[in-house]
Amino acid sequence: MKRIKLPVGTLVRHLIINFFVLIILLPIAWVLLLSVESLPDAYSGNLWPETFDFTHYTYVLTKIPGLPQNLSNSLLVTFGSVVLTCVCAVMAGYALTHLRTPGKSLVIGLCTATLFFPTRLLSLIPIYEIQRSLGLLNSIWGLILPYVTLNLALSILTMRGIFEQIPGELVEASRMDGCNAWQTLMQVMMPLITNGLVVLIIINFVSAWGEYLFASTLTNDSSQRTLIVVLARAFGGVGAFSYPRLGAAYAMVIFPGVIAFALAQRLYFKGLTEGAIKL
Amino acid sequence: MTAIPSSASNTRQRPAWLQHWSNWLFLIPATIFFVGYMIYPIFRTGWLSFTDYRYLRQGPANFVGLQNYTYALADPLVQTGLIRAAQFTLVFLPGMIAFPLLLAVCVDRVQNRFLSTFYRVVLLIPAVIPGPMIFVLWRLMYNYEIGPINHILVDILGIYTRADAPQWVGNPNLVIPAVAIFEWWWGLGYHTMFFLAGLAAIPKDFYEAARIDGASEWQVFWNITLARLRPIMAILIVLRFGTAMAVIDEYLIFGGFNRALPTYTWTVYMYELAFQIGDWLQGYASAIGWLGALGMLTITAFLLWLFRNRDND
Repeated sequence: MKRIKLPVGTLVRHLIINFFVLIILLPIAWVLLLSVESLPDAYSGNLWPETFDFTHYTYVLTKIPGLPQNLSNSLLVTFGSVVLTCVCAVMAGYALTHLRTPGKSLVIGLCTATLFFPTRLLSLIPIYEIQRSLGLLNSIWGLILPYVTLNLALSILTMRGIFEQIPGELVEASRMDGCNAWQTLMQVMMPLITNGLVVLIIINFVSAWGEYLFASTLTNDSSQRTLIVVLARAFGGVGAFSYPRLGAAYAMVIFPGVIAFALAQRLYFKGLTEGAIKL
Repeated sequence: MTAIPSSASNTRQRPAWLQHWSNWLFLIPATIFFVGYMIYPIFRTGWLSFTDYRYLRQGPANFVGLQNYTYALADPLVQTGLIRAAQFTLVFLPGMIAFPLLLAVCVDRVQNRFLSTFYRVVLLIPAVIPGPMIFVLWRLMYNYEIGPINHILVDILGIYTRADAPQWVGNPNLVIPAVAIFEWWWGLGYHTMFFLAGLAAIPKDFYEAARIDGASEWQVFWNITLARLRPIMAILIVLRFGTAMAVIDEYLIFGGFNRALPTYTWTVYMYELAFQIGDWLQGYASAIGWLGALGMLTITAFLLWLFRNRDND
């Protein structure tokens, strides 16, 4: 009896998984398909188009004024904030695990507390003030500063989880060899945390690349806007952002991240098992 | 605690406490951002909530005591806003726990290395798509003219006709489930990873022992798997409660400032007051923000108390 029962369970399990896998994949497949449909097909509402049209991608990149500018804005602000957040989080995570830092538990407690609090909502109004007094309102460079805090608490806790997996004897040993704290971090620790760093970069890339609330509040001119804000406000249907073109722009925004993730997945899952999923 | 010298031979002559405080150098970059763009702004919002500050008036903020709070408590838009946020949270939370849990239990038992990695990667794809892009995608999916969901319902399944097809985004009764569905879609893989991490931590001989004792699959699931996942479930419920109550980006993109739609919650009202209408009543908006946050904190504290670890004492 057991021989009959086992395959049934396995079958049901795979059916459930594949059902969810399909649910995940179909919307993405559909938007890809939309981006290569001819204009009449896109408006017919039919799932499979009669004629394909691959020109929407070049149209979006060349014919919509300002869009390349928005794209480079997004790249700039994402790159800047990911680098800054990672530097902050690596240094803090190190100090919170392998160094005798006074007030450790207070810092950790504060970081954890912010995860349960609507920080972004409650800090928006004063951040607007701060940016104005620093002359950074409506500036794509200025946007980097509030972006660093988007995920800072989570990044610090993640990094702490990764550093905790590294045995303290290594730090002792390198101290015996005459390394100071900074040298230990750079020479002994850095090679050991690369997998965790991949997780950190992915988390921060996604949140900075797609941030909407700060970007739409703190910038005003279309030349300073990020691609996300432009796309989120482009109610498709007419003109430059007709549906297939919106689909094409959409594909260009999401696929760099998806492809980068697929390529880095091995490191990512290693990082997860190395303690990056602490919270 | 700081006075205990480290076990390694400390050749340097600096006093121990100074050496330990110098480790704060590593925390300085994080602290600057943390204080400048999070701690200070939150307290500043707290101060503004006791003033009549209006951004466009250019005048100084005058202290008005609890006036903003008494107004806010009596403001019907605040009341409905909080109720709407709570309704969304109630729809959203059960699915956000149940679906990933079911999926994790299934994926955990997949023996094939390639398949198990493949499933994980596919499930995590939505997690690497930025939030607002998820909302744009699903606004297209729900679209009345070209959306595939209505196309399937009308032209393929024939459940509805063009005339009475559901208006997912425009219909006040449908927009909350519509938002909840794509939030589930977005968080499915990410939350599954949490449960998978929890499942991987359960020793396999627990299952063996239970089966030898004659426990049914259902009993094993209930008494071992679920019991062991309880801490993770508790933390996810509390965290997602916090995000669900304070949702704003989705609502701004989906419903805008349409007060008739259930997407016009206290967060959207606060945003509209602070940056859109009148003299930008940021004092009053701050009070609404803190009122909502305090309400949320109360329930969060209650949930933490409810889920407190009973095993240890």
